Amino acid sequence: MSLAAQKRSLWAETWRRFRKNKLAVVGMCIIIALFVIAITTIVIDLVTDKAFYNDHVIKQNLRLRLQGPSKDHIFGLDEFGRDIFLRMLWAVRYSLFMGVFAILFSVIIGSIFGAIAGYYGKVTDNVIMRFMDILLAIPSMLLATAIVAALGTSLVNVLIAIAISYVPTFARTVRASVLTVKDQEYIEAAKALGASDFRIIFKYILPNSMAPLIVQATLGVAGAILSIAGLSFLGLGIQPPTPEWGSMLSSARSYIRDGWHLTVIPGLGIMITILALNVMGDGLRDALDPRLKN
Amino acid sequence: MSDLVRVENLKKYFATPHGILHAVDDVTFSIERGKTLGVVGESGCGKSTLGRTILKLHEPTSGKIFFEDKEITELNGKQMKPFRQEMQIIFQDPFASLNPRMTVYETIEESLLIQNLVSRKDKKAIDKKVREYMDLVGIAARLINSYPHELDGGRRQRVGIARALALNPKFIVCDEPVSALDVSIRAQVLNLMQDLQAQFGFTYLFITHDLSVVKHISDEIIVMYLGKIVEKAPAKRLFANPVHPYTKALLSAIPVPDPDFKANRIILQGELTSPIDPEPGCRFAKRCQFACDKCRGADIPLKEVEDGHQAACILA
Amino acid sequence: MADTLLEIKNLKINYETDDGIVEAVNDVSLRLEVGKTLGLVGETGAGKTTLARSLMRLIPSPPGKIKSGEVLYGGKDILKLNEHEIRQIRGKDISMIFQDPMTSLNPVLTVGEQIEEVIQSHNPQMKKEELHESAGDMLEMVGIPRDRAGEFPHQFSGGMKQRVIIAIALACNPKLLIADEPTTALDVTIQAQVLDMINELKNKLHTSMLLITHDLGVVAQNCDRVAIIYAGEIVEEGDLHQVFKKTAHPYTIGLLGSIPSLSEEVERLNPVNGMMPDPTNLPKGCKFSPRCQYATERCKTEQPEIRDIGNGHLVRCFMKEKGNE
Repeated sequence: MSLAAQKRSLWAETWRRFRKNKLAVVGMCIIIALFVIAITTIVIDLVTDKAFYNDHVIKQNLRLRLQGPSKDHIFGLDEFGRDIFLRMLWAVRYSLFMGVFAILFSVIIGSIFGAIAGYYGKVTDNVIMRFMDILLAIPSMLLATAIVAALGTSLVNVLIAIAISYVPTFARTVRASVLTVKDQEYIEAAKALGASDFRIIFKYILPNSMAPLIVQATLGVAGAILSIAGLSFLGLGIQPPTPEWGSMLSSARSYIRDGWHLTVIPGLGIMITILALNVMGDGLRDALDPRLKN
Repeated sequence: MSDLVRVENLKKYFATPHGILHAVDDVTFSIERGKTLGVVGESGCGKSTLGRTILKLHEPTSGKIFFEDKEITELNGKQMKPFRQEMQIIFQDPFASLNPRMTVYETIEESLLIQNLVSRKDKKAIDKKVREYMDLVGIAARLINSYPHELDGGRRQRVGIARALALNPKFIVCDEPVSALDVSIRAQVLNLMQDLQAQFGFTYLFITHDLSVVKHISDEIIVMYLGKIVEKAPAKRLFANPVHPYTKALLSAIPVPDPDFKANRIILQGELTSPIDPEPGCRFAKRCQFACDKCRGADIPLKEVEDGHQAACILA
Repeated sequence: MADTLLEIKNLKINYETDDGIVEAVNDVSLRLEVGKTLGLVGETGAGKTTLARSLMRLIPSPPGKIKSGEVLYGGKDILKLNEHEIRQIRGKDISMIFQDPMTSLNPVLTVGEQIEEVIQSHNPQMKKEELHESAGDMLEMVGIPRDRAGEFPHQFSGGMKQRVIIAIALACNPKLLIADEPTTALDVTIQAQVLDMINELKNKLHTSMLLITHDLGVVAQNCDRVAIIYAGEIVEEGDLHQVFKKTAHPYTIGLLGSIPSLSEEVERLNPVNGMMPDPTNLPKGCKFSPRCQYATERCKTEQPEIRDIGNGHLVRCFMKEKGNE
């Protein structure tokens, strides 16, 4: 049944459905808040020329080590007497931006490969997808570890490592949706108009294959954040004294009996972020699902 | 010669896991400029494949396709591009044939841009053209920025027609353009298509399973069964004097909206199978009440039964 | 006049959605007679499927809501029965055939099992062999060899699947069969086969039928009475001769004018102008007035009542009021 002839693009329609899912909206708010925190801390660093960072985030004060939460330090102090609350805030940027950039990178590479494989099919499809299968067969954590170990531990290398390990996932997602979109009549109509393959892929197929990709990407960011934390925990990611949730967790584990807050706070940080991304991803999937369209 | 489109011994086979599917098998016909050729048949008879193969949306397996006496069978994508402007297609499903992410404006604009009919930068000229075509097919100007999902079936189909018209083509393949529409809307769209033909002199290849529609709109009709033409005749003559047993059964099966009409139904036994690795002989023989040994073994060629009326049946 | 099997009285059904309230069925009254076929004709969104589903209480709720009215069957109001009672009626007294044969069968059960399941749910005492036997009988009745009972739906063609669905629908010998566009998805020659079979079985089993379709040809060849529905309201109702030969409502005239004739030469069709109204925002007065060429000021403000213009020919139009003819 066709309802309401108001002007709404498909994206506006999606947003309307997304808003109905309160949990997903909460998730999205958390993610937005994290972005705000990340950007604010970067601005503070720029304005104070890292003076605040040096004085409060990485400066040690061994006298107060392992102090529990108090009025002055709401999340308490860590094994070197640093304020955990501030370290948590300063760590947001690594997890969030690296997660997002890594996924952005793999989404772009993955979509191009996936779209080409799906659109041209046959040998092209086979070559690309078998290569992706090989990548997929290697456990992503192991692959990332190997890349970081080979190229050395640096932010960029961690990013590349995680990005590469996610490329096959996105290539597969895009290929699958391209395969369904490819047989639609509007693609044939575009061919009959004389549109080039390039135009068909980028103007017709990809925009219509976005829905599952967006959901995958949201969930992918969650996975990437976990991977970054995991690599840091193993000592292959961000190096101390730079605050990072994974490495905070890693160094705190020796003090688990002396100060519970050392492990619980970064752990909760990771958990809440991942949870927020996951509920947002679920909400997006429901909102984008064409079966729910009226 | 005044034939706009000519097809000679056209074949289109598809390889399937079960064998070779003869979707279009040795089909020959021509369409006169400004006329409408109707193609009728049931699902799976190859009528849609035929339309798409003529436009080279499928590569023909063998045979020849001529457009204005130029052979286009072997042309590649680039060489086909000028012909794409002349030959257009209107699809059956107005829900699937429009890009859901493009507005009415963008859809029609796309036609103009792909064939470089207006300059990409000349926004005013594009806007004028788009509005002109919307007006021509009867879509209200206020809908110019609507997305397909906001339009009903009839309006969507009009957008699909506008998209094809924007190229100013000579030949239009209409693949079941009204089958998905409601009765009252269907008649509106049929009238529109006839008006446009009268105004611009279009040549139509009109594919449908609806016999009353095909009779209404066509000058000549081809009846297809499992990839083969079984009968070909001027529209009136086909309905007045059907020769092939399949045509007869098809005509008798139409439900007539008149309670006093007592149909002399020929109820066919069995159902259409798909033409995978067909045995030589008449494809209809399995369901035909008149079938005999002569029908099997060798293909039955089309035979002239009266002037311009051909049928592929040994009884003809 | 034959006995009444089922009577719908002033039924009103709304869908309450985010976009507004859709008045899907509005004050509909219909009567089904024993052994007769009533055709219900309307276009997409006219409310014909909603009406049919309400007779078995299959309206999804929310968003569907039965606002008022009665559906009387055997002296009882179907709309007031509890879940247990309604389940006794579904399948046994009233059963339904849906439009799409491809999706209305369960792909993981054999067709035999699906028929047996229906029979068993209404005859729990039956033994396995008896069930098997009667499932086979049903298949044979619809022209499918008994030994195909062990096959799965995907092994059947479209027309055969529709036959299986009919076999399931008739398995418990229902008194009323609701057929919702039973042949729309089928080819013409198969449609003819299936309709012929339904008619034959209906006469043999003395079943009443509500045939829902948009095809006036199908109605003319298969029904006794016909009701035309537009925007949730019955606009014209009568026997075949009344509706097809003495057509009274402008919408029905438009529908008939939209069909290309096979016997006459018509240069141009005379369709109804305009589109179906937005169901959340129906026009005031007569729902058809914006598309009607005879509409007057009165039609745009005042809702015409449905009235008998002679011998049970009902029309909802001011033009047919006494003194206007």
